[in-house]
Amino acid sequence: MSMIDIRNVTKRYGETTVVDDVSMSVEKGTITVIVGTSGSGKSTLIRMINRLVAKSDGEILIDGRNVADVPETELRRNIGYVIQGNGLFPHRTVAQNIATVPQLLGWSKTRIKARVDELLGLFNLDPKAFSLKYPHQLSGGEQQRVGVARALAAEPEVLIMDEPFGALDPVIRGKAQDDLLAIQKQFGTTVILVTHDMDEAFHLANRIAVMRGGKLLQYSMPEKILTEPAHPFVQQLTGTTDRALKRMSLLSLTSSMAPAKVGLDHGLPQSLSLRDALAEMIWQGIDEAAVEDTAKEPVGSISMSQLLELGRKA
Amino acid sequence: MAETLAVRTLDRLGVVLVFAGIAGAGLLPFIYVKANRIASGKPMLLTQLLNQPSAIALTLLLVLTAFAVLFLEDARVRLAISTLCLAALIATMGLVATAFTPEGSTVARMTPGGGFWVLLAVTALVVSDALVKIRLSPWMRIAALALYACLLVLFLRSGLLDSLSIMREYANRGDQFWSEALTHVKLAFGSLAISVLIGLPLGIVCFWVPKLRSALLQGLSLIQTIPSLALFGLLMLPLGYLAAHVPLAAALGVSGIGAAPALIALVLYSLLPVVANTVVGLEGVDPAVRDAASGMGLTRRQILTGIDLPLALPVIVTGIRIVLVQSIGLVTVAALIGGGGFGVFIFQGLGQTAMDLVLLGAVPTVIFAFSSAVILDAVVDSIRGPAA
Amino acid sequence: MLTKFALAVSLSAFAAGTVHAADVVVSSKIDTEGTLLGNVIVLALNANGIKTQDKVALGTTPVLRKAITAGEIDIYPEYTGNAGFFFNKPDDAAWKDLKQGYNAAKKLDYDANKIVWLTPSPANNTWAIAVRNDVAGPNKLKSLTDFGKWVAGGGDAKLVASAEFVNSAGALPAFQTTYGFTLKPDQEIILSGGDTAATIKAAADKTNGANTAMVYGTDGAIEAAELTVLEDDKNVQQVYAPTPIIREEVLKANPKIEEVLAPIFQSLTADELRKLNGKIQVDGEPAKAVAEGYLKEKGFLK
Repeated sequence: MSMIDIRNVTKRYGETTVVDDVSMSVEKGTITVIVGTSGSGKSTLIRMINRLVAKSDGEILIDGRNVADVPETELRRNIGYVIQGNGLFPHRTVAQNIATVPQLLGWSKTRIKARVDELLGLFNLDPKAFSLKYPHQLSGGEQQRVGVARALAAEPEVLIMDEPFGALDPVIRGKAQDDLLAIQKQFGTTVILVTHDMDEAFHLANRIAVMRGGKLLQYSMPEKILTEPAHPFVQQLTGTTDRALKRMSLLSLTSSMAPAKVGLDHGLPQSLSLRDALAEMIWQGIDEAAVEDTAKEPVGSISMSQLLELGRKA
Repeated sequence: MAETLAVRTLDRLGVVLVFAGIAGAGLLPFIYVKANRIASGKPMLLTQLLNQPSAIALTLLLVLTAFAVLFLEDARVRLAISTLCLAALIATMGLVATAFTPEGSTVARMTPGGGFWVLLAVTALVVSDALVKIRLSPWMRIAALALYACLLVLFLRSGLLDSLSIMREYANRGDQFWSEALTHVKLAFGSLAISVLIGLPLGIVCFWVPKLRSALLQGLSLIQTIPSLALFGLLMLPLGYLAAHVPLAAALGVSGIGAAPALIALVLYSLLPVVANTVVGLEGVDPAVRDAASGMGLTRRQILTGIDLPLALPVIVTGIRIVLVQSIGLVTVAALIGGGGFGVFIFQGLGQTAMDLVLLGAVPTVIFAFSSAVILDAVVDSIRGPAA
Repeated sequence: MLTKFALAVSLSAFAAGTVHAADVVVSSKIDTEGTLLGNVIVLALNANGIKTQDKVALGTTPVLRKAITAGEIDIYPEYTGNAGFFFNKPDDAAWKDLKQGYNAAKKLDYDANKIVWLTPSPANNTWAIAVRNDVAGPNKLKSLTDFGKWVAGGGDAKLVASAEFVNSAGALPAFQTTYGFTLKPDQEIILSGGDTAATIKAAADKTNGANTAMVYGTDGAIEAAELTVLEDDKNVQQVYAPTPIIREEVLKANPKIEEVLAPIFQSLTADELRKLNGKIQVDGEPAKAVAEGYLKEKGFLK
């Protein structure tokens, strides 16, 4: 059941075509990442979903309803929207920022407060300490978290994100991405996210869409993007130098491990990606390790040669 | 006292002030003793007045203040000393004036001289410098202003200053002073209110319709270049015609002379700062904030009232501050077309070559403008606070 | 709802209009003498049962003229000589004579604006030359004829005046031609502005040796500065006699005004005006009090 249906959408500004006949469907509860360089039309495309930009041709449906049939403001109040730089309201507290859309939808005060506290807790921001702070009193990472919390406040089905992690320094960017994955899993929100960072796409996406010059070049699972690039540009984007490692970062031990063996000294958590497992085993200088669950019980094993086998071109 | 004696790196402002104070007190006369209103008076330096106990006390306090300015670290102590010195300065002026007024004379005039004004300015600067260093919150600044105003009122009420020429002029026309004061306040605030009521929506429209912006701002700038008296004169004819031929207009108080042309001219002059600052303030709002608000589903009006205006408010209120101070000054010119206000005393004084009467008009105007500026600046800072 | 409102407004406008018609709006220029004469008119009319609206010390001459021709004000004191400028006949010889000038002004303003010029004061508030008392006394200088003879005979005169006075054909050059004297360049101190207060002050303080000053005939500061105004016995200057001028319809509604003001203005000679102006300017008394004092002293007020 597709949540977001983009059908032959085109956007023209005078003579220039910025989005050229793009069609794609996003399944409910999945994360789609649109990747491309600047000028590829990716931001324009997603801004047509919540009608911040008017489309020239085509249709966009959310949950079966054409977005053109819904009044703009009502549409937007039911879609979460996160932008680079956050756009937090500087003259409102963190709690007031998060409460914005619920207030517009007429939620009761108690319900709003409960939701604000819940979201702050989820993002590891102590409500007591952070509710009454103003955006300028927060660090970059804290601001970004509040921005996402604000977008999710009214429990939207769809979340649109335009380069949401672009302003973060690399150290916290990974953590922020992990947080998004966890939250998305918890709420089951359908996410469509735009970025120019391929690594980020691989880290987050269920499916990746590659855009260039307004056209959609490929829309498939990250594996396929790596192993079966539909266009030389796609291959260029993913890079050829470490595609084996990229591929290995997509798979976790859980799906690739061999049966458990006895007598292995080292243990690796099963949630680890193959790439991270490889790195750890090189570091420790071991050829074989046990795969453990969260309770540190062995559930499988993995060896160096197996890893190398898995990383080979299919 | 030992702890507060910490030596401060010689503050440049302090040195300048002390030098200015010494030069002023030593070279310029403290007071002019005049036989009558228009006679040129006998100048007397502070040094020549040292047979008066008040002058001696003043000199000692001036030295103490100079010492505090140059060497004391603690801003609070400096504030206390300089405030005391300021009070002594004013008190001495009053006492010396009384001392030199011939017994029972009503025509003799004692006018403060350049030396007094220099010392007043220097001491006031020391006070304000100390206040700035203490870093008061906006509301505390207004409270401080109120406190000093009370001090001034106390002096005026005490009768200590009654021999001063400016107070003599006041004594001769007390009722008129207050009625002109009321007129001045009404004209200044009235024109401010009207210009904000017109200018704020106009600024919002200019912000939404960029094509309108340059045309309107240029038009308003053109109005600013018209000399005020010329504009008052230009308005007399059409307003006079209106008053003569439209009874409703006359009933509303529209006439070619008096408050009506003054008010309209003031509003015209006030529009440019209000409109320009509104536009600049709205443009200064981070476009990301507006984009987020729009994407979250706020209507255009909600964005205007909830996001744009509150964030633009500091800049808009700054525009209002500019307008108020400007209007308070311009209202003095309105006296030439019968508009009233403190300008009446200024122009009558000029016509009679009685500078004391001019002061009676000029000093309250300056105090009014200064207080407005302080209060509105405090308001701007207090609303800028959360968003800073 | 709207009609009720409109009715209320028009009724009040009508009522307001009727109230205004009863009061005579008295105004004046913003200078010392204007304020004095304006207050004189207000007090005189009030004492004789004519209700007034006080708009004294309104503004400058152009403002007053615009206001009276537009009907905003009803009566104010003007000068006969000024009519020459209002009606663009500045060089007409009539202005040099009080009666002729007065008649000319009266006719011109009535024909053009239906403004009536009432009885004038005999004073002449025009350009004049004043000499220090300690120079006039010993040399017996009373008129400009005396002055001319004295200067021509080597009298040590040093005049402080404005550039306009020294250069304007109708001023100093005219005086010199008529009274037969010539001031050498080092006998002239020229100031940039036309402020007689500055010239009077200079002569009073003997600044740069000045002992003669350009003045206006009824300046209040003259006596206090111990100067004597020299009589223009050959009528070189145009006459500027203070005269109350009034709109015809207001005069018709209150015909008493002419007979009330006539004796008052006739009593205001140049000497009296100088004294009264001096009280306001030098002694700092408010104009209203000075006007009241004069009217009481002369018996025009009880």
